[in-house]
This record gives sequence, structure tokens and C-alpha cells, in this order.
Amino acid sequence: MDEEMISKFELAIPIDRTIQAELLLLLGQQPSHGYELIQRLNGADFKSGEADPATVYRNLRRMDKDGLIKSHWEVGESGPGRRLYELTPQGLEALKVWTNYLAEQKAKLENFLNTYLHFVKSQLEMDEGRDKP
Amino acid sequence: MIGNQKTLKIIHAGALQRVVENCVELLIKQNPGLKIKILGVGSREGAKRLLSGEHYDIIALADQALFAELLVPDLVENYFVFATDQLVIGYDRSSKGSKEITQDNWVDTLLDPQVNFARSDHDLDPCGYRTLMVWQLAEKFYGRTGLYEAMEAACIPYSIHPKSLDLAKALFTGKVDYAFLYSSEAEQLELPYITLPSKINLSNPAYANFYDQAVVTVESKIPGKSVILHGKPIEFAIGLSKDSQYPELAQSFVDLLTGSEGYSILEECGLIPC
Repeated sequence: MDEEMISKFELAIPIDRTIQAELLLLLGQQPSHGYELIQRLNGADFKSGEADPATVYRNLRRMDKDGLIKSHWEVGESGPGRRLYELTPQGLEALKVWTNYLAEQKAKLENFLNTYLHFVKSQLEMDEGRDKP
Repeated sequence: MIGNQKTLKIIHAGALQRVVENCVELLIKQNPGLKIKILGVGSREGAKRLLSGEHYDIIALADQALFAELLVPDLVENYFVFATDQLVIGYDRSSKGSKEITQDNWVDTLLDPQVNFARSDHDLDPCGYRTLMVWQLAEKFYGRTGLYEAMEAACIPYSIHPKSLDLAKALFTGKVDYAFLYSSEAEQLELPYITLPSKINLSNPAYANFYDQAVVTVESKIPGKSVILHGKPIEFAIGLSKDSQYPELAQSFVDLLTGSEGYSILEECGLIPC
């Protein structure tokens, strides 16, 4: 992924699409089928809320089309064949971009919380000042 | 150009009627002259037809587990999961209570003596045994002891509308107020429907262990014997007959269904391609 693409990617990522980062991370750990990914995603301690299959499969198809992951049909040895997804080098780059983006969001949230704490503290000090005779 | 003598035979879950028709249309465009015969049935019935000696080149079923239970390895070598769905409660605008029913009060609405509802035959159609599983899971999920038995007692006998598509027709004609269907069927028929919590609608692999608690007994492949089925996330699968006369053509159909064109068709028909 070149600089221009990364820049476009960064601009185009609303926070509600973090499921893509989560899926890229899980696929980086090991190639998986959609069924297994949904189970791993719902068991992951970084996931908030329930990941519904429609959202997971839609994002897998989108990332497959964009070249961030690749897939092929894997014949099941003792069960059904399923589409197996794995991370591509472009996907690994995208995961790094996502991680930077999330780190920035985390820093912004921490800044917000710190600012809020200062605000609460100043309010308390003002109240205490008013109460003094 | 394919010779006129070539006829590909497809047997499929009734719920896949429109998907299969659309894929057939595309395959014929790619192979002028090809003839394709399709038959929509309850998936369990479809697998048993193969066991009884009927021949089909392609088998597309509403429950992937049917392949392992009935068809592999004698009749089918490999089979692939290509779509998922969820169970919903379909109804018609004129159904009794249709203005009040919600995801929170569906049990009470359906158990109202003024209201009737139906399910398909669990021995023929996966939608039938999945409905029984949904009722069992609902009993646990809502903590309402006796819910399953009450639903069974109140439901219209399943023999009246054996396939889920029969249920849809019954909804249209007003013979049934509510019916348990796949959401894709309701979408295709433009029927309004109530979605159920994902913990009971058999849609989400995350709840596979919870679904597994539901148990239904159905007729096995041996006449007079039964087999126990456990709840699983809904998965549609396709396989090729081992004795297909046209394995390459049959494979082209599978490739089409599981490729980008098939994805679009599945989505248009309300299924989730996977």
C-alpha cells in the first residue's frame, strides 16, 4: 500500500468499521473460515458487542475485493468445505495503519478524559471557594 | 455450444428456488443449448430422494449436516457451505395481531387462542426441525417453562403445510396468521416479518454451544428408525453427485454460485453468502 493509498485509507475509516481491524488481526494470527472467525471475534476481549454474521461476511468480502485478504475454498476433511481467508501483505500494512489510527483515537480519548478530570477538579475548587466565608 | 442431449439435473432446497433459477439463467447464457432441470423440495426429502435412487448432478440443501448424515461418502464426495440465514416469524398485513407483534411479545401473540400459526414438517424440511429448536431455545432464553409444549400444542398440524414455501402461500391466502420461515423467504416474497434474538434464531456461530442444547428427533434414512439432531447455526451447502455425467458443467454451476455473480444473487435473495 503506497503513501497516497494509506492516506486515503486513513481518511476513509469511520470508527464503526473497526471490525475490519479486528478481522485483520485475527487473520494475522491464523487463517480462518468465516464461521470460526465469528466465534473467535465474539470471544476476543477487544470486541464490544455482538458481531453478527452478515456484518462479518460483508466485511470479509469487501477486504477480499480490496486485496487486504485472500480466500480459497478448502475441502473439509471430516466436514463441509468452507472458504478459508488469510491475510495478504497489503492487509498487514492496513492493519498497521489501523493500529496507528486506533492509537491516535486512544490518545484523543485519554486527552478528553484528562481534560474532563481537570474540569471537574476546577469545578470543585470553585465550589469550595464559594463556600469559604 | 452444448449439445441438446445434455441435461443437467439440480435438486435444491425450496428456499433456494429463486437463487437456483437466477444461477441457471446465467449458466445457460454461458452455455447456449444446455438444458437444466431443477426440482425444489424440502432438503431432508431431497437427500432421501437421492438415497432412493433418483439421480441429480447437483444437490443444494438448506442444512449442511444432511450431507454428512445421508449422502457422504456414497453419493457425494465433497460439499461446500455457501450461505447462511436466520429463522423469523413471517406474517401478512391482515394477520391477527400484526400491528402489535414485536420481538418482545411474539410468544404471547402466537399463543393467543384467536391467532393461528404454522411450521413445516420436521421430517422433510430443515425449517421444520429448526422451528422446533427455536421454540426449545426460546423456552431457555426467556425462562418460560412449558413454552415449547405450549407452542407445539397450539401450532397448526405440520402435515397441512409440509414445506416452508407452502407456509408462505398459506400466509398470502390468509389461512395462516404467522409462520416460521427463513428471512430470505420472507424477503423474496415481500412478507413482513419479526426477527428473533440471535441467541435463538440459529444465525450466529458465536452461540453454537447454546444452540446445541436444542434436540429434535426425525426419521432416519432407515425406515422406521429415528435420528437425533442438535441445534446448529443455519448453513446452506452444495455438493456434486459422484456419478454426475457432466462433472465439469456441474462444477461450473457451483463456481457460479460461489463466485461474485452468485454472491450478488444470494444477497438479492436475502441470504448471506459466506
